[in-house]
Amino acid sequence: MSSKLKKDISELLRAEVITPQIASDISTYYQSKKPGATSTNTLLVIFGILGSLLVGLGVILILAHNWDAFSRPVKTLFSFVPLIIGQLFAALALFRKKTVVWREASATFLFFAIGASISLISQVYNVPGSMQDFLLAWILLGTPLIYLLRSHAAAILFLLFSTIYACNVGYFNDASPWYYIALLAVIGPFYFQQIKTNATNAMTALYHGLVPLSILIVMGGFITSGFTGFVLYVTLFGLFYNIGKLSFLNHLSDRKNGYVLLGSLGTIITLLFTTFSWVWDDFDSMRGQDQDVILAVSLAIMTITAIVYSHFRQNSKDYSWMRYAFVLFGIIFFLAPVASEGPKILTNLLVLALGIDIVRKGAQAEKFSLLNYGMLIITSLIACRFFDMDISFVLRGLLFVLMGVGFFIANYLMYRKQQKLIPNDHE
Amino acid sequence: MIMNKIIITISFAAMLLAQWFVPGQMIYKQEEVIREGVAYKFRTQPLDPSDPFRGKYIYLNYEVDKAFTKDTTINYNDMYVYIAKDSAGFAIATHASKTLDKSGQDYVKVRSHGIYNDTVRFNLPFNVYYMDENKAYDAEVVVRQARRDTLINNCYGLVYIKEGRSVLADVFVDDISIKDYVEEIQK
Repeated sequence: MSSKLKKDISELLRAEVITPQIASDISTYYQSKKPGATSTNTLLVIFGILGSLLVGLGVILILAHNWDAFSRPVKTLFSFVPLIIGQLFAALALFRKKTVVWREASATFLFFAIGASISLISQVYNVPGSMQDFLLAWILLGTPLIYLLRSHAAAILFLLFSTIYACNVGYFNDASPWYYIALLAVIGPFYFQQIKTNATNAMTALYHGLVPLSILIVMGGFITSGFTGFVLYVTLFGLFYNIGKLSFLNHLSDRKNGYVLLGSLGTIITLLFTTFSWVWDDFDSMRGQDQDVILAVSLAIMTITAIVYSHFRQNSKDYSWMRYAFVLFGIIFFLAPVASEGPKILTNLLVLALGIDIVRKGAQAEKFSLLNYGMLIITSLIACRFFDMDISFVLRGLLFVLMGVGFFIANYLMYRKQQKLIPNDHE
Repeated sequence: MIMNKIIITISFAAMLLAQWFVPGQMIYKQEEVIREGVAYKFRTQPLDPSDPFRGKYIYLNYEVDKAFTKDTTINYNDMYVYIAKDSAGFAIATHASKTLDKSGQDYVKVRSHGIYNDTVRFNLPFNVYYMDENKAYDAEVVVRQARRDTLINNCYGLVYIKEGRSVLADVFVDDISIKDYVEEIQK
């Protein structure tokens, strides 16, 4: 039983809100709910992982010293030492049915031991191999740890290193990180299993944040030209948002649903960029390459599939603008070559519509967070227009005052509405 | 249940083997080149960068960086550069080609960096030499200094080449291994 609960019970006892009998009943209830001996303290797991992480990184750094006092065979032998230790711990964790802490800590250490071993051999023989090949070999050799030891630490390290690998290929070299897609497919089954078995778990929620974040970071590595980037990003955020609205994720709170969070924020921020006129001024000189077009089309097809599936198979009645923002932006984008002023005005209207729609939804659902988020969007849009429009300071000031008053009134009205719904005992 | 256990055990064993196999075959391949390859001396000049995982290394700037070619299509493509020894025993690049010729001459695979009047430029692949972290910077300073004073002009990398694969075994300054050379100076 948590100490906070104990404190609350004694406070309620002192205030004579509950009787000693009820207090002891509550205590017994929570005692009986106490998890069994198999589950381990989360904090212990986290420290176990952190410990292994530090030791693993330390080993890599120690080996990076390049001990040239030792001969080549000795150094070669050394490179296997961390690997053997890591494998031993992993074997114990797997076959002796050790606790979660064991599994996570040994998986973390073995993951780094693999990297240490390959790097030391590269060092001994001065292998000029590229960073990307090195990372890919490392990631692939560490992958079985995710499935065999069912290790979350290994899965997170896998995602992290896959992202680093893809950035290395896509941003620092003149290539597209196609293997990254294969790597995502490799971790897919583990991720889906988590969704199926631990749907509301905090760990699963972490994956809902990390997976789209990794894809978002890597995405730029696939883009070959400048401007189509906006379409690609808006479509990607549309995909995230619509995936987040599928029934297996939609039941989660906004905080736990990284897809909706990233999708919504990303759409708004990207669209706010496109409301500036300078974005459209250089339009002609920046045309999409074939690869970008293929990427945009595949993203759009995936997003539309998610929407259709949600409406027709899962009977979703959610028709918020945010779900279709990418389609509207796509249309605006293709209008751009024929209408010079059109795109600027239309993107402004689109952001405004999104903001109003969110305010409306917030008011309907009586959610302060949503209401204020919508108003923040509208405020940001107005603030952005101050940069490229010639408005007098008095007018700007008045507009800000009005926006501030708007925030107060909207929040107050909602507060009143909520108060009315709560039955009031004092009257 | 037992079936499950067998599968897990086999998969685990396969993972352990794979984790041994990758570094193991790296060692085997490199050792094979050192054992059976031909040794060449490439004149060079070292610089000192660092790698986050593998530590300090010196980057070698080889004098061999261009070769004769008639093939203009190899521009910015992978190509083969053929290696021979000059009268002083140092490595030279005789010519380059897009496809491998059957002369039996030793070669390395490189990427071309542009072609001008029958001459193609490239960087040799074995240009990284890992060193003790306390010596890498000094190594660069020593060689730069020595070059300026023209006391030495024979800094070279000893490279073994076999069937296109190459291993940089050591770097020498005045015929002394750069590790020992720097150690002497640090004393």
